[in-house]
Amino acid sequence: MPKAYSVIVILSLFILWEILFHALNMRWYLLPPPSMILESIQSNFISLMGSLAVTLKVTLTALLASVIISVCLAIIFYFSKFVERSMMPITVILQVTPIIAIAPLISIWVDSSQMATLICAFLVAFFPLLTNTIAGLKSTEKNHLDLMKLYRANKYQLLRYVVLPNALPYFLSGLKISTGLALIGAIVGEFVIGPISGHSGLAYRIIESGYQLEIPKMFASVFLISITGILLYNAVRLLSFMILKNWHSSFSEAE
Amino acid sequence: MSLRVLTDTDRQSKLEKGQSRILAQLDGICKKFAGAQHNALEDIKIEVFQKDFLSIVGPSGCGKTSLLKMMCGLIKPTAGTISWPTSNFQNSPENPANLSYVFQEPNLLPWMNVYENIKLPLKIVKEDTYSADEKIYEIIHLVGLQGFEGYYPRQLSGGMSMRVSIARALVTQPKVLLMDEPFSALDETRRFELSQEILKIKKEKNLTVVYVTHSIYESVYLSDRIYVMQPNPGKVFEEFDFSGIEKNEDYRFAPEFFEQAKIVSDSLQRAQHA
Repeated sequence: MPKAYSVIVILSLFILWEILFHALNMRWYLLPPPSMILESIQSNFISLMGSLAVTLKVTLTALLASVIISVCLAIIFYFSKFVERSMMPITVILQVTPIIAIAPLISIWVDSSQMATLICAFLVAFFPLLTNTIAGLKSTEKNHLDLMKLYRANKYQLLRYVVLPNALPYFLSGLKISTGLALIGAIVGEFVIGPISGHSGLAYRIIESGYQLEIPKMFASVFLISITGILLYNAVRLLSFMILKNWHSSFSEAE
Repeated sequence: MSLRVLTDTDRQSKLEKGQSRILAQLDGICKKFAGAQHNALEDIKIEVFQKDFLSIVGPSGCGKTSLLKMMCGLIKPTAGTISWPTSNFQNSPENPANLSYVFQEPNLLPWMNVYENIKLPLKIVKEDTYSADEKIYEIIHLVGLQGFEGYYPRQLSGGMSMRVSIARALVTQPKVLLMDEPFSALDETRRFELSQEILKIKKEKNLTVVYVTHSIYESVYLSDRIYVMQPNPGKVFEEFDFSGIEKNEDYRFAPEFFEQAKIVSDSLQRAQHA
């Protein structure tokens, strides 16, 4: 039910916006009404969808890369305190330095603008996944570890049967954060680095429409970015639900 | 009456007559935990006979659980030896399945259903899957879990979870079962029900059981022999022999049962102030 309410609230805000636009006689080039934004999406459909595909591709690739790399690193950190102590500060430095500040450097070092944007998105998305997965691996119950020790389980069995499943809820909540961050990273990266070669992404559409004073198209791009973010977030939520519904307490009300 | 404090000569004559064979011998066990000032366990000498139901009773904090964990190699003693004189019996890397441990909590893996939880030890010690299936269903039957194979731990009651935990311990067909207050979280009825089943399983599977508890009644009802421990530092205070008593359902209301419980209770009282 709460979900239905939030949809109603959002819809009524849009309607209010539309009504106020006409009632207050606002300028369309300052704040276009929802109807105009929809119209702009419709008339620029092919170019906007192309841009969306570009942005989405960067986002998902960066997300995939950060999932693979963070899980591998987390496992290495889990088994070696030494590696963790020496490597963790580097990842923290990468995390706390604003991506806007590093992006120009990356664009100098990397030729392909698509690759540079991807690196930006990766750098932003990577950290929550790493810290969450490490926390998950480390939170394995002592008794579960004892059980594995009792049967002389090897490292692979320990990971497969106990430690990795235990980290799964933590990993998935990290994934929820990182999905949004990957999208933000992809947009910010393109803003700073410039249009992705071949076909520009949604970020460059915003800049472009700003130059051309096509304000409704600018809003249309922003609107598409938000929708994409919401869809991605919900996809991850659905994924978590499907994986955890049987055993994790956070889904106990689902029955 | 067969209850009495066991003396060294008793034990000797019993061994000589061949009534019992020593399966495990804990000798001079000391344990000092890192950072602790005093020994947690001091000069522990315990003998486990084959097919014994041995209880270790004592107040909380006297190191009962540590003793049990030492027997299966989860923690190492600071001094002293644990030997298994009869044989190739050690819980060695070659055969970790000989000894099983039932934890105080069910300690099930929440991401696996009942069937997978029970199967886990077999998977780890790499039993071939064909015979594994047969063994698992036999055990599921034995502990009365038919129909619950697909349930996840959080869908189970405390008693049911404990049954799964016992099934998991039995699936490798161990010769020795170490149990650490396995029923402490259950209500009286469930406790009795599961105690009965443990006795039945012990008989059927020819098990040796080492049982740690703070419940006097439970230990008197279940055990052939009881070690009473004293705290600070943990030491063996007294040893009782109950073997030869027929334990049926009525026994727990028999006058002898209460008499024996009183003797153990008195001993425990004295142990606390020793």
